[in-house]
Amino acid sequence: MIHQVTVTLAGFRSVFQKQGLFWALLCVLLFPACETRKTPSAPTSAVHTVTDDLGRQLTLPRQPRRVMALTPSLTEMLFAVADTASIVGRTQNCDYPAAALTKPVVNNYPMDYERLLSLKPDVVFATDGIISMEVAAQVQKLGIPVYFQTYDSVADILRGIRDLGFLLQREEKANALADSLQARLHQLAIDSSRSARPRVLAITWRDPIYVFGRNTLFTDKLRYAGGQNAVTETFAQPYPALTREYILKMNPEVIIGGDFEKMDKTFFSLYPELRRVDAYRHKRIFEVTDDLMSRPSPRVVEGIAELKAVLR
Amino acid sequence: MFLGVGLFLGLKVGSLSTSYATVGEALFAYDPANATHYSILNLRLPRLLLAFLTGASLAFSGYLMQALVNNALADPYLLGTASGASLGASFSFFLFADLTFMGLYLPPFFALVGSFAVTLVVVVLGSRRGQLIPSQMLLVGVALSSLLTALVSLIMFLSDSESQLKSVVFWSMGGFEKADWSNLGYPATALAAGLVVFFFLQRHLAVLLLGADRAETLGVDVRLIRWVMLVTVSVVTGFAVAFSGPVGFVGLMVPHVTRALLGATNRANLLFSALAGGLFLVACDLISRWIYPPAGMPVGIVTSFFGVPFFVYLLRRKNYRFS
Repeated sequence: MIHQVTVTLAGFRSVFQKQGLFWALLCVLLFPACETRKTPSAPTSAVHTVTDDLGRQLTLPRQPRRVMALTPSLTEMLFAVADTASIVGRTQNCDYPAAALTKPVVNNYPMDYERLLSLKPDVVFATDGIISMEVAAQVQKLGIPVYFQTYDSVADILRGIRDLGFLLQREEKANALADSLQARLHQLAIDSSRSARPRVLAITWRDPIYVFGRNTLFTDKLRYAGGQNAVTETFAQPYPALTREYILKMNPEVIIGGDFEKMDKTFFSLYPELRRVDAYRHKRIFEVTDDLMSRPSPRVVEGIAELKAVLR
Repeated sequence: MFLGVGLFLGLKVGSLSTSYATVGEALFAYDPANATHYSILNLRLPRLLLAFLTGASLAFSGYLMQALVNNALADPYLLGTASGASLGASFSFFLFADLTFMGLYLPPFFALVGSFAVTLVVVVLGSRRGQLIPSQMLLVGVALSSLLTALVSLIMFLSDSESQLKSVVFWSMGGFEKADWSNLGYPATALAAGLVVFFFLQRHLAVLLLGADRAETLGVDVRLIRWVMLVTVSVVTGFAVAFSGPVGFVGLMVPHVTRALLGATNRANLLFSALAGGLFLVACDLISRWIYPPAGMPVGIVTSFFGVPFFVYLLRRKNYRFS
């Protein structure tokens, strides 16, 4: 995912983002040998060009001293991988780990550009689909590179952790974390392969009914947890709106969205027709932790274990 | 005829594939254990009827409203119904976390209270000594709607969770998926009552279109009939909006289409307006579900996309005059 080019022009970091990219490219063209030339003598002035998950090229310091994430999941990742002293802030929604709460808050919606600028991060990390390109462009204009990560699968999250390790020169820690998560995932998947896989519907909104669609991480998480997404069609929207009839047709065996009593009083009193589905008749309606469900963070494995526990 | 085709197609289209024979079976030989039969009678039919009732109510109210203020731009939301309902619904999202109180789903209830309260304010400010002044009411309605929209924006701005924000947005898009046999009765009763009242008053209505002064000399109690129209519009629109959300454009367009097709003073205008409005919305709901299955895109988008070109065509075709 990441390809790097070593550039050793002194004072490069102060050069504007756009220009930086230009010089970096020029460097690649003129000095192909740059790639192999290691210059430990001036690591602070070194920058390199990297490509983020969206294919955007960015020039980042080789060793970022001040970093920040613009989404809660990436804040969790940073706290797991980075030197916590190098994390300069968090957003209003970043509440994990507890240590994050001590960092200064930058609102990400609407984006508080001035506050962000005042914290002088060398690079900020953003999740595709949560931070818009428009906001990213605005942040880049302030001279702060925005590195995007995007995840289609649980494996992508582990890859994201390793990428962060590379970008922050914390490869050892990141790889150790990713390896241990990988091992737990493997164990969960082996346990799950023995039993039947119930059809699981996860509801994110009651009125209208929005659910976790096929093309969300949830589908992949269920694979490890021993279930399958009740939504088998892929819709344009990752979280599609469904009709009652559609839900009756797929007849989910498990519903995630709240505990039985609560869902009975809210969701099923709003749509009494849905009391015919298997999940309701067998009372297999459960609540799981929202943040574990929605955040593509290192705790994704914890989320899978929680899903597995209710599916059992 | 259109009505029959519309209703039939509405029953046939859904996620569970259905043949024409199944629709017939579900209607005449209902088997409660059969999922398709169940869907047709308990999901598709209520949804269809709610779409029909909403369209009919809005078109009916729009026709009355245009006659009441004698203005081609009037629609049923002129009395602040939509913005009042939005404010009411927004309050319920803001105040109640799980939106239910003793088994009652609160947003429609709050929307209804909001729309009536706002209509009352518009009427009080738009009348003088018991006499409605249409032009003044029109201006008050427009001004108050802006104020209420601003209040809804304020609530959205102050909302401390993303979920409240989403609730307000989703509500404002409208939809028929909550349709249920238990809640169809309210809008149906309101519309039926309105239609009956104006079945007896249709001559007065036609005379009123000639202008208040001439109607007065022809022996119509203009003051009384205006009040009746006002109350009818607010009740009928209020119930439609409370259950389906503020669906736009139907209430403005369908009355004009009616007049373009039948003439400005045809006796069947009100009834035709209601039927055409209902059918139009049923068709729009079908199209929306067909384009964007399964839940459909917000019906307001479809009404405008398909309604506006037809509307413009009709207006240009006949040298159409409002009165």
